Amino acid sequence: MNRSSLARTSAVLAAAVALALAVSSCSTGGSATSGSVASVVHGASQVSVSLASKNGKDVCTLSSSSAKAGPVTFTVKNESSTAISEVELLSNERILGEKENLAPGLAAVSFTVTLTGGTYQVYCPGADKQLTSFTIAGKSVKVANTATGALQSGIEGYAAYVTQEVTTMISATNALKSAVDSGDVTASQKAYALARPYYERVESDVDGFILPGFSATDNAGNLDYLIDMRESNLDPAVGWHGFHAVERDLFQAKTITASTKQLAAELATNVQKLDALTRSLTYKPEDLANGASDLLEEVQSSKITGEEESYSHIDLVDFAANVEGAQQAFAYLQPGLTKIDPTLTRKIVTQFAAVNTLLDKYKDSSALGGYVSYTAALRTSDGPTLSAAVEALHENLATIAAKVATA
Amino acid sequence: MADPKSPGPEDEKPGLTRRGFFLGAGGFAASGLVVGAAAGGAAGFGLARATGSETAATADVVYPYYDQEHQGGVQTEPQKYSVFMTYDLTTSSRSDVQVLLARWTAAIAQMTKGQPIGNPQPPGASSVAVDSGEALDLGAQALTVTVGLGPGLFDSRFGLASKRPKLLKKLPDLPSDQLQDEFTGGDLCLSACADDPQVAYHAIRNLSRMARGTAATRWTVTGFGRASAGPSQQTPRNLLGFKDGTRNITSDLDFDKWVWVKGETEDWMNGGSYLVARKIHQSIETWDTDRIGDQENVFGRSKLEGAPLTGHGEFDTPDFTKKRADGSLVIPANSHIALASHENNGGIRIHRRSYNYTEGIDDVGQIDAGLLFVAFMNDPAHFITLQKRLGSSDRLNEYIQHIGSALFAVPRGPRTGSYIAAELFA
Repeated sequence: MNRSSLARTSAVLAAAVALALAVSSCSTGGSATSGSVASVVHGASQVSVSLASKNGKDVCTLSSSSAKAGPVTFTVKNESSTAISEVELLSNERILGEKENLAPGLAAVSFTVTLTGGTYQVYCPGADKQLTSFTIAGKSVKVANTATGALQSGIEGYAAYVTQEVTTMISATNALKSAVDSGDVTASQKAYALARPYYERVESDVDGFILPGFSATDNAGNLDYLIDMRESNLDPAVGWHGFHAVERDLFQAKTITASTKQLAAELATNVQKLDALTRSLTYKPEDLANGASDLLEEVQSSKITGEEESYSHIDLVDFAANVEGAQQAFAYLQPGLTKIDPTLTRKIVTQFAAVNTLLDKYKDSSALGGYVSYTAALRTSDGPTLSAAVEALHENLATIAAKVATA
Repeated sequence: MADPKSPGPEDEKPGLTRRGFFLGAGGFAASGLVVGAAAGGAAGFGLARATGSETAATADVVYPYYDQEHQGGVQTEPQKYSVFMTYDLTTSSRSDVQVLLARWTAAIAQMTKGQPIGNPQPPGASSVAVDSGEALDLGAQALTVTVGLGPGLFDSRFGLASKRPKLLKKLPDLPSDQLQDEFTGGDLCLSACADDPQVAYHAIRNLSRMARGTAATRWTVTGFGRASAGPSQQTPRNLLGFKDGTRNITSDLDFDKWVWVKGETEDWMNGGSYLVARKIHQSIETWDTDRIGDQENVFGRSKLEGAPLTGHGEFDTPDFTKKRADGSLVIPANSHIALASHENNGGIRIHRRSYNYTEGIDDVGQIDAGLLFVAFMNDPAHFITLQKRLGSSDRLNEYIQHIGSALFAVPRGPRTGSYIAAELFA
């Protein structure tokens, strides 16, 4: 078979597959028995929600697509779906009732809500079709989407937080520059440790800036590269700049040269540019959620590994700052998120507390930056515990973007 | 070349054409044919799934999961690759453990069919995928995932102490043990075995992710080659170059007698087994320079044929009493097979299902490799009896170190609509 006939066969196959998929999604994708009205038992309409894996797709099926106004009991049974583990009843993006930890083999669970006329959605995250409409006949009582307003004010609060962090970073990097200019290595090391957390708290929001006149692939114009690049990712064409180049001089050679002074001065200037650009940032709720999630990714990829601060070993200072930044972003989403998903919100609050409790063990006011040095020995003995706590939090934090984005 | 023997016990019979058909009696000698069959299988599977048909001719092996008397991966004909992982429970909530076992069971059922556990490309840019995706289009590859429960699950944390199977307790210290804490113990274990290494890896990776917040990874060994055989497979070799598992038990009768638990008050263990895992480091460098005569005396077998030193063929019964003219035993009393044999251990037998591993080089530049010894038995005392003898006087001890160890209870297989060890939470 020559190349072109092979390609043609593939195209025909693809079309057949697409047709098969379309047919199967009509018959099985997130459906409800159309038009059927839920039966009433003991005064409550009964709707069963079935979660299943059918032909490799996860589907969420309702026994009825509508009910009369009044109490409605939703009974959820996970028959075989590995991807769906929670079901929510939504009205205007607000959760009226939910069940989570749904796994095949576990007993059916139910929740009852009193519904007035209108259209609702049954939301099954992880399903092939995530939203299924559910209608209550009769007069609609308008329910305000209280989450949207709360999320909007959260965004404004968070924008102010980021601006404040970057503005304070200007003073901190100026202080580092002054210390370096004075030639005092010990004072410079302290100033370095004091300046680091500001960047680490907001890194995920400010790491995308390209200076005017540069292309997106040119590291010479990439502010994150110029401010925070580690030795492991250097671009030889641009050379080493920023915090970690200064760190190398202060903690490895422990000497301040003319080049160190130039690096510190350049860092202070670049942070001023960062500040100007940060003020132009606008956020959507999912940006806060993704930012928080990305900061925890940073914790796992470069702090727990000890890669970030390979000369100063103040990785736990950065770790704490990443967590604090993530927690701030989450805190600004929390009033809105609580209205969307109170259970998840509580869970994340608890997991942040667990991570912070763990971090508290390493606080040491006499140590550089306020945390004990993250030595290779400490990484070996405590790394797995730190990692497990962060992973547990991260797994949940990663799910909030999809929730607030639809709100 | 047809499937030469009975395809194994009824409950382990794969749903589709067995890979054994291609391997058959020729075993690894027919490797060209095996490769061809595997490639065809992968392509065939992709087509079969896309059209919603699972009956297309394919070499992919799919084992049934629910409603089997036993979990897969015990009597199942050993697949080529394995990933073994143990976990520490980090939660203090019994219902978290229950949800994890239920989610694991359903996910294993799904992956065993060669299907992802969720859409790797979920709708909406903000959604996070449930399945990581690297096993897509690879097929089921005879995947089995065996779940084990460690003694820690039955300590004071979860209110399950009264349900501990009576034989499940930490293994005692054994002679020559050089156990390292980082390769020892675990509250739970998963053993994924498949004919494609990435399929086994994908299973463990995604099941580990499901455990986040409930259980944390403790130790793991990736097995790159099987070191045990089923009834229709040729005996493979361990990294010391010797055939391993020639006298392993494989018949239903022996499994019934030595492997499957019966008469346990905790009914979910009846039809289950106990899994002993030992991470055995092998001193590759010194072994390789040992003279062949000594190597054969260490094992009590010839290297090429694998015959006992008293016989000619691999499956000849060793004669542990036969002496040379000078009065010394032909098979030395402290050789590995003499010490491990059922004849010299009151008839005791266990089912071994080990995998060779390599983990790069150690800090003095030596190859870090060995055997993940995995054995199933209906009473851990059987392993203890054997290892007491082996640990005390096995000539092989000069070349191996037991550096990791764990014991797990393997519950019986789950029923449709239920999950592994559901009775614990009833």
